[in-house]
Amino acid sequence: MPTELVVPEAGTRELSYAEAIREGLAQAMQADERVFLFGEDVGVYGGAFGVSGDLFHKFGPERVIDTPISELGIAGAAVGAAITGMKPVLELQFSDFVTLAMEQIVNQAAKIHFMFGGKATVPMVVRLPGGSGTGAAAQHSQSLEAWFAHVPGLKVVQPSTPHDAKGLLLAAIDDPNPVLIFEHKLLYKTKGPVPEEPYRVPIGKAAVRRAGRDLTIVGSSIMAIRAVAAAARLAGENIDAEVIDLRSLRPIDLTTIAASVRKTHRLLIVYEGVKIMGIGAEISAMIAESDAFDFLDAPIARLGGADVPLPYNPVLEKAAVPQEDDIVAAARRLVREGRA
Amino acid sequence: MPIEVILPKVDMDMDDGIITEWKVASGDRVRQGQILFDIETNKSVMEVESPASGVIRDLAPITGEPVAVGTVVGWIDADAEAGASLAAAAERTRTTSPSAATAGIDHATSSEKRAASVEGASVAPSDSIRATPLARRAARMLDVNLADVAGSGPAGRIVEKDVAAHAGRAPESPVASDDRLVPFNPVRRIVAQRLTESAQRAPHFFLTAQIEMSALQAALRGPQGLRAAPDRPRASMTVALAYLAGRVLALHPLLNASIEGDAVRLHARINIGIAIDDQGDLFVPVLRDASTHTLDDLAHEFERLRAAVRARQIVPDDMRGGTFTISNLGMYGVDAFTAIINPPESAILAIGRTTDTPVGRDGQVVLRPMATFTLSSDHRIVDGVTAARFIADLREAIEHPEGLS
Repeated sequence: MPTELVVPEAGTRELSYAEAIREGLAQAMQADERVFLFGEDVGVYGGAFGVSGDLFHKFGPERVIDTPISELGIAGAAVGAAITGMKPVLELQFSDFVTLAMEQIVNQAAKIHFMFGGKATVPMVVRLPGGSGTGAAAQHSQSLEAWFAHVPGLKVVQPSTPHDAKGLLLAAIDDPNPVLIFEHKLLYKTKGPVPEEPYRVPIGKAAVRRAGRDLTIVGSSIMAIRAVAAAARLAGENIDAEVIDLRSLRPIDLTTIAASVRKTHRLLIVYEGVKIMGIGAEISAMIAESDAFDFLDAPIARLGGADVPLPYNPVLEKAAVPQEDDIVAAARRLVREGRA
Repeated sequence: MPIEVILPKVDMDMDDGIITEWKVASGDRVRQGQILFDIETNKSVMEVESPASGVIRDLAPITGEPVAVGTVVGWIDADAEAGASLAAAAERTRTTSPSAATAGIDHATSSEKRAASVEGASVAPSDSIRATPLARRAARMLDVNLADVAGSGPAGRIVEKDVAAHAGRAPESPVASDDRLVPFNPVRRIVAQRLTESAQRAPHFFLTAQIEMSALQAALRGPQGLRAAPDRPRASMTVALAYLAGRVLALHPLLNASIEGDAVRLHARINIGIAIDDQGDLFVPVLRDASTHTLDDLAHEFERLRAAVRARQIVPDDMRGGTFTISNLGMYGVDAFTAIINPPESAILAIGRTTDTPVGRDGQVVLRPMATFTLSSDHRIVDGVTAARFIADLREAIEHPEGLS
């Protein structure tokens, strides 16, 4: 079981999101010899997005393992290793390829603890670089996190900052359950304060990034970053937005969202995944079912990905997912006109 | 069944229009297709027809200002018979149901029945009204009928600020005037009814005393401020006086009593109501068993009650069961006042401000912080001397509050 989840004050030292994950991996491997990293090109090459970097040279080929190109094989090996007492961290080069590993993650990793009456646990961590914005087209740009949030037995997190990327990774490695970390490709180079010592960001706890009175904007990953930027612009129009960074999709921190909605009376949910049947629908329904319902003064609004395979054309790609301008416009309509 | 009359979109590029003339008056019987009003768009003046037959009401005023397309500008209670009488609709539903059941395949009867039940179901006014959940909640709390509120949201949806505006807004008046006629909200209605009853029925008399406050002030300003722990609220002067009054009331049962027919009920419990104002509304939450709780407990409880009042979440139970009331207007600079007894209690204590006042002490004129206390008593229960003894003991308790804990 995870012990105490302690989040130290972020100091002044800045790391990139990718560096923060690498530091977390190194500290976990240092502290626990059962932790190992494997995936396609995570070793000698240092990872498709450079996240594992020099870890191969620090920990050697037995703990940073280059695998064949078989997501099903990697995931299956990770499940097996986890059952037998190891703590695998696997990287899927692009989160889109998780479709190939679906059987092992959904039917095995998520279920084994329950199928065997609690006798086995699957403490594995799957790192999935996701999201659009890199011109990588429809098969390398998706945001599939909602699929996994639908599966009992899995935990799903989506860090937006370097600080949370490291803290959620260490919490995920501690966790006895399979945890999927959806990292955002566009965030790998963003920088932010990261404490040097190991620390944990609690799974299942959202962060209020900005307090406000007029509406609540809920997002995760890069959408939380865009929502904070949008809120700063909205402040110039006298619209005071509260921004909640979900950080975890499963478990989801409904308490924080509902408390915010009770205060602001308006809710805008922003997510990169396809809007229909997505995270926004779930949050919207949870709020409508909760006692926060009576405090809504406008319909709940969602901004999500367009209902299309992501276009390669960069202009269309941008248009297909919520951007800062879209969030500003939707929030403005919601507050001023009572509709998004 | 109320039907919306909306400002229609009569031009492709029209966003709003100005109502220039109503051809009907509120309460008129209108038929479907009849001209109801003229609107002026940026292109022309158009006549708007009635969407239904029935009695029209709640006509939007002619202001000369543009009104957004889709705004509800009136209501028609379609089919005047049904609109006039809920009972009639319900009656029809009841009488047709069995006959439809027996007739089984009688087509006319069953469709009649369907019409009647649809009507019956939607007569409840809020069914056909667009309003946000928060607006509905506000309407419940302010006792506002949503059917009377003009919505400013999309398609005339009522949002919270419309309800708030309505609650403080005057109805249409035929006389042009800047006066505002504000209907009583439920709090005001209760205050008016109860205090009228008290002023008319209870023969009030008033005793006034100036009491020195220095010892009590010193006790409250002490290092602990009379609280159990730093995170507990400090006792205010009002709470301290309630605490002391509670102790004193225990010795004066007639001041903690109420009339019941031809008898006086002497209350075993001493529950002190504290009159507080919130945005112009009077609330009297009750500190229960004031004579047996510590001052710290009373301060804590009072803090809870005051917060509940401010949040408008005070529940009736928190305001029931008072046996004596304190009203303190000292913080507003009032020197002294007389209060009307909160029925069915037998007395109320009105407290003025504490101010440095020249008084004689040991043959010298000195300044002392003094406050004027006025006790209103119901002479049916309390005599002058009974009230005077209470005042004497209260003075003693306030001027020597050593036992305060």
